[in-house]
Amino acid sequence: MLDRRRFLVGLAAGAAGLLVSRGKLPAFPVPKSLKPGANDKGQKSEIHTMAVVKGASPELATRKAIELIGGMGSFISKGDVVLVKPNIGWDRVPEQAANTNPVVVGTLVAMALEAGAKKVVVADNPCNDARRTYVRSGIADAAKSAGAEVVYMEDRHYVKTNLKGEVITDWLVFRGAIEADKIINVPIAKHHGLGGLTLAMKNLMGVTGGPRNLMHQRLPESLVDLGAFFKPRLTFLDAVRILKANGPQGGSMNDVVQLNTVAASADPVRIEAFGVTLFGKKIEDFPTVDLAEKRGLGTRDFRSTGFIEVDIG
Amino acid sequence: MRNLRRVSQILFFLFFVYLFIQTEYKGRNELGLPVRLFLDFDPLTALSALLASHAARAIFLLSLITVGLTVFLGRFYCGWVCPLGAINTALGYFRMQALKPNRTEGRYPGLRPLKYYILVFVLVSAVFGWNAVGFVDPISLTIRSLAIGYNPAINKIARSVLEAAVAAHVPAVSPAIDALYTKMTGTILSFNQPIFRQSLLIGLIFTAILSLNALAPRFWCRYLCPLGALLGLIGWKQVGARVNNDKEKCISCRKCVVACQGDATPFPPGEWASRECLVCYNCREVCPVDAISITATARDTGDGNVDLARRRLLASGVAALVVVPAVAAVVQRKRTDPSLIRPPGALPEEEFLRRCVKCGECMKVCLTNGLHPTLTEAGLEGLWTPILVPRLGYCEYNCNLCSQVCPTGAIRPVTVPEKQKIHIGLAFVDKNRCIPYAFGRNCIVCEEHCPTPKKAITFLEERAIDEKGATIILKKPVVSPELCIGCGICETKCPVLDRPAIYVTAINESRAQENQLFL
Repeated sequence: MLDRRRFLVGLAAGAAGLLVSRGKLPAFPVPKSLKPGANDKGQKSEIHTMAVVKGASPELATRKAIELIGGMGSFISKGDVVLVKPNIGWDRVPEQAANTNPVVVGTLVAMALEAGAKKVVVADNPCNDARRTYVRSGIADAAKSAGAEVVYMEDRHYVKTNLKGEVITDWLVFRGAIEADKIINVPIAKHHGLGGLTLAMKNLMGVTGGPRNLMHQRLPESLVDLGAFFKPRLTFLDAVRILKANGPQGGSMNDVVQLNTVAASADPVRIEAFGVTLFGKKIEDFPTVDLAEKRGLGTRDFRSTGFIEVDIG
Repeated sequence: MRNLRRVSQILFFLFFVYLFIQTEYKGRNELGLPVRLFLDFDPLTALSALLASHAARAIFLLSLITVGLTVFLGRFYCGWVCPLGAINTALGYFRMQALKPNRTEGRYPGLRPLKYYILVFVLVSAVFGWNAVGFVDPISLTIRSLAIGYNPAINKIARSVLEAAVAAHVPAVSPAIDALYTKMTGTILSFNQPIFRQSLLIGLIFTAILSLNALAPRFWCRYLCPLGALLGLIGWKQVGARVNNDKEKCISCRKCVVACQGDATPFPPGEWASRECLVCYNCREVCPVDAISITATARDTGDGNVDLARRRLLASGVAALVVVPAVAAVVQRKRTDPSLIRPPGALPEEEFLRRCVKCGECMKVCLTNGLHPTLTEAGLEGLWTPILVPRLGYCEYNCNLCSQVCPTGAIRPVTVPEKQKIHIGLAFVDKNRCIPYAFGRNCIVCEEHCPTPKKAITFLEERAIDEKGATIILKKPVVSPELCIGCGICETKCPVLDRPAIYVTAINESRAQENQLFL
């Protein structure tokens, strides 16, 4: 109830509430526009820390969500090299909800370029054959026509990197993820046999190489290590269609639910926690959320401050 | 005409290489290009498959075009079209230049009948159910040798050079090479570095065949090639292009003899062996006195064709009669080898072996590099036929490329939905090695990758104590034999890297009623 009330009040309270939350979340990067003085022209009600948008058009919903959290310009600076990291893990078509929605990816690429990014790279290290997943997911086409450089993660593109994590230290990492000025993490909300669900931080496994299947043995810890190292500037959850069973690759349309929803925040833990609620599950059953919060990556309390949910029809 | 022939050889060879490179996934489910075209036009492949399997396929009709042209033009295919012929021509060129007209070196006329005996052997074998033609048919031989033997090596060399250039970090140069490397990957180079079992063996055999050019130019074509033998027999009349050496003009310089690509003895006049003639036009080009003409109307050309000793022909046939049962009487016929996992769409084993010509097209095209040539798994008669080796590569759920490229229907054409229902084997969990079972830690990478919409791998959940003493839910994988299609992705991805904790064997394969696990 407190959350709900704060949500309602928070829309008006805006900036003040944000400043409070900012003090609590040192690792959570705050968009420039949210810094004191940035929004002094009566725009405070338009800037949020997290936006959930429902809409029949994934493009419009994506644009609206980014606009609500301050616009792409508050995350991407002119001249940035940006890595947009969707889930292109599986040889499945968009309707099967195993990969990120291609329209969402294309829209984010376009918006990053509009915001002045020098180059936007779209890539993933898929589980199935990369050529097939790039084509069949629709992402290669969508991202290319939006102006992105779509690349395969070839063997020589991995560099051994110390991730300084609790369980993950020296590991092969896609060079593009290290060279990029900003990472936009674009997961799709899906069921997963081991993690229960695959949401924001699980998607970061796609910038690692090496024997990454070993991460499954201590999955929550590994994922939080990845989240802490890569620190995506923005986490954008695609819940246009979600996969409720037989994840993470699904295959049966019976397991797909069309939600027409997207969520955006700079705080991956909020996205992670919000994602859990989409499946009607309890956040406390997901150790990744707990660990990430303890590591200071964000807050599970996604409705606490600056949360907005709109339906644009 | 000789230059025209050379241009033809180069163009056909380039076309062959182009089709070879295109025998790879290019972004669409359907290959689009007829990558097996050279096999389709190969009458020996068609004839042997026909004899062995008694099943005619419409595609075999294409090879009749080759037959028809051969009736008219003789072995023009060997001289103008065959890609292995082109390689041998190029490699034999310098040897040929070194030959002296007044010596007999570089020619082994006595070996000319050998190819006919080889032909008889493979055809008689085919009649008795062993399709051995793929070992010696020049098209199958070349595709297999390039795909399994040479292509991995060529890729490795090119990649090593490019990688070294990129790693050198030369300003401006290295980034440009990096970009070039990316462009070459999946176009000129294979998308992934190919790796095959028996790569070295198959590559060395081909190298040995090519090395025979050091003994005599086009040694393979002259003395060994059974397709050449078949075409020679079909086209011996060679009504369209007969070589005539004019007795009146000939000065016995013997230049034509050493220039002859087929050891067809254009000299002495009247001794021309039509079955050996590759219509290369060398004899006419080198003749200093224009004694040689090649025309449809030429008369008096004589017949220098070697007699095929009836006794030896018979012996080749009898040899086949002895060898066929001998190679079939192997242990694999009594018990199926557990690793004999055939690609989806493969016919029942007996019929499969009758058709498969071991051309290696399916192995070349396999998306995951999962199809490899057999060594002993299918017995001697099944040597170099394709099996899935799931530790190295799995069968991609939405892919049916191997069934698209098979020239003889040994892997019948199957649609993707059809293919997804074919069981090629069954996965087994090795509980002694599986991480949750053996060590009480979670993993289930196999379940994650299992591609069937209703997962064939599920897990038993069990409360357990982890290494820190905390209570965890342990998830132990279990395979459903009804749902598992044996694609092997679980084995490929299993993090127990050496001997996998989940592995596929051929049992339960849809194509074999006698290889079922349950009642």
